Amino acid sequence: MTAIVECKGITKHYRQGSIDVPALRGVDLAIEKGDFASLAGPSGSGKTTLLNIVGGLDRPTEGTISIDGQDLTALDNEELADLRLRKIGFVFQAYNLIPVLSAVENVEFTQQLMNVPAKERRERAKEMLHQVGLDGMENRRPSRLSGGQQQRVAVARALASRPSIVLADEPTANLDTKTAEDLITLMSDLNERYGVTFLMATHDDRVISRTRRHIVIADGRVASDELRPAEMAV
Amino acid sequence: MMDRLRLLLPLAWRNLWRNPRRTIITVLVVSVGLWSILTFSVLLKAWSVSSRDTTLKLMTGEGQIHATGYLDDPTVAHRMTQPAGKLENILSSSAVAAYTKRLRIAAIVQSEYKTLPMTLVGTDPARERRLSVLPDRVREGRYLDGPADTGIVLGRNLARRLKTRVGKRVVVMAQDEKGKLAERAFKVIGLYAAPQQTEDQFAFTGLKTAQAFTGIGTDITEIAFVTPDSQDIADVIARMKASSPGRDIQSWKTLAPLSYAVSTFFNEFILMWLWIMFALMAIGIVNTQLMAVFERIREFGLLQALGMRPRLVLMEVTLESAMLIGVGVGLGIAMSVLSVQAFPNGIDLGFLGRGAELVGAGHILYPKVDAGDFALYSLIVWTLGVVATLWPARRASRVSPVEAMGRF
Ligand SMILES: Nc1ncnc2c1ncn2[C@@H]1O[C@H](COP(=O)(O)OP(=O)(O)O)[C@@H](O)[C@H]1O
Ligand SMILES: [Mg+2]
Repeated sequence: MTAIVECKGITKHYRQGSIDVPALRGVDLAIEKGDFASLAGPSGSGKTTLLNIVGGLDRPTEGTISIDGQDLTALDNEELADLRLRKIGFVFQAYNLIPVLSAVENVEFTQQLMNVPAKERRERAKEMLHQVGLDGMENRRPSRLSGGQQQRVAVARALASRPSIVLADEPTANLDTKTAEDLITLMSDLNERYGVTFLMATHDDRVISRTRRHIVIADGRVASDELRPAEMAV
Repeated sequence: MMDRLRLLLPLAWRNLWRNPRRTIITVLVVSVGLWSILTFSVLLKAWSVSSRDTTLKLMTGEGQIHATGYLDDPTVAHRMTQPAGKLENILSSSAVAAYTKRLRIAAIVQSEYKTLPMTLVGTDPARERRLSVLPDRVREGRYLDGPADTGIVLGRNLARRLKTRVGKRVVVMAQDEKGKLAERAFKVIGLYAAPQQTEDQFAFTGLKTAQAFTGIGTDITEIAFVTPDSQDIADVIARMKASSPGRDIQSWKTLAPLSYAVSTFFNEFILMWLWIMFALMAIGIVNTQLMAVFERIREFGLLQALGMRPRLVLMEVTLESAMLIGVGVGLGIAMSVLSVQAFPNGIDLGFLGRGAELVGAGHILYPKVDAGDFALYSLIVWTLGVVATLWPARRASRVSPVEAMGRF
């Protein structure tokens, strides 16, 4: 297997006034192509911090991080933006969508940034919305979509630009059980059918139990990292 | 670049209408501000044109030709020959709309009751009519009927002070060609109305009569001329100067310095007004745009997280401002054009009475849309407005996606 993400000796310290808050204390981690991985751990353990660093949204205090062999620490802000655009799909906990764009336009947005021709990106966006089960919702603005539907649009967008990895931070935190189940099933299907690589920060057992790789982080370090067969959807 | 615009334009346009109330307020601030600048410029320009015209159309014309030295000592000693050769060619060409020849000298007028100083102007009425309004301002009696007319036309106020009237005689004294005092009786044939200062100063008789009176043959002391609207007066004067080096040729700017000062003052006033209004507008615009940016910090974080380059975010926000201010500018122009068109017959300043006369304006202002001025002022407001909003836009592009989106 090839590593898509390689973290070596990642530390991250936040300064709060004069106090130094260590959020990550030395993380070594490799995410392989095709992984369907959860990043679990108690609140405050550093999940979000790690995900932000992997996604090129934040920089580590120490250590190196590479995506598809490219060293992120060497990139400036504009280059990091390009890297996020081309290599990473994000699904955040909430406020994922651009309010003034319709569902299909939101999905098209990243492709538009990549100058994909209009016809091609529209077709791909519609196909993605179809994949996430949102046929007929294409022209709705986010304000007219439910929370679950918004997360689906976010997944569709994350996939539309064909990223190397999709990073999701507590994607189910704001969803009810049924909707959360549906979303995780969707992502699992996409992983199995198309080999899309997922890394999800979560402390939601419904999500953890459905992933194949369980990474647990505690106190800013990787506490355990094991492969297990994922439970089937009920 | 086109791809970028196609991406940013709809985004910016829709963002503009997310908070319609705020957008409308900003649009109103810009449009009312620009409206005040544009209508002010139109009014002041009309005022200054009217003031200029009023002065120039009394006697001055747009330019005058004298013998060198005449302006300092306006007597027959500084007379000149009739225009000839190249100068005459220019005066008769299309570069000059009309010109008149005068013999204009300091004189004393005497009635049975009083002796007063004044200026006697010998003129050719047919030519005079084409650049002066005074021949048409005769309120009693008649104007001169030709260069050989021996009557005299006085200003109403001068006649009142002399206690004379149409049909009576006055005696005029002036230096003749030899420096001796010439004296002659004139029959008062008409009284004209004009600003008081003019009424008191100028009295008119036929050019030939005045020449005979002072004994200077066919010489004259003054040529006044006007140019067609399209003509550049400085250019005409330069050509005249080249054609006759011995003569003193001046434009109205030096002949009527007060009118010129008024028009330059107005231009400066308009610029000052533009800056004041712009400063007020800028405060409003920058404020609302800053507010709009802060409200959407999270969204700017999202845009960057998704891979939109900071520079593109800057462009997007700037584009929003450009559209916002552009809409305001468009509305401001429309409002100004409508305001100006609301006065197709001019604005009558009659209610100001002599007050308007004092500051040198005619009684009716004719406001006119000057496309060049409108374009210039609008462009200044629009450009400066957009530049002012670069600050909020920069804030938006400097947002750190992690901090903006909070901790997920
Ligand atoms: N911007 C920040 N400033 C200061 N401390 C922070 C900041 N972000 C995170 N932290 C601290 O870092 C630690 C890890 O936080 P986080 O990565 O958000 O944990 P998790 O996502 O697992 O809940 C926590 O102690 C948190 O308080
Ligand atoms: Mg977190």
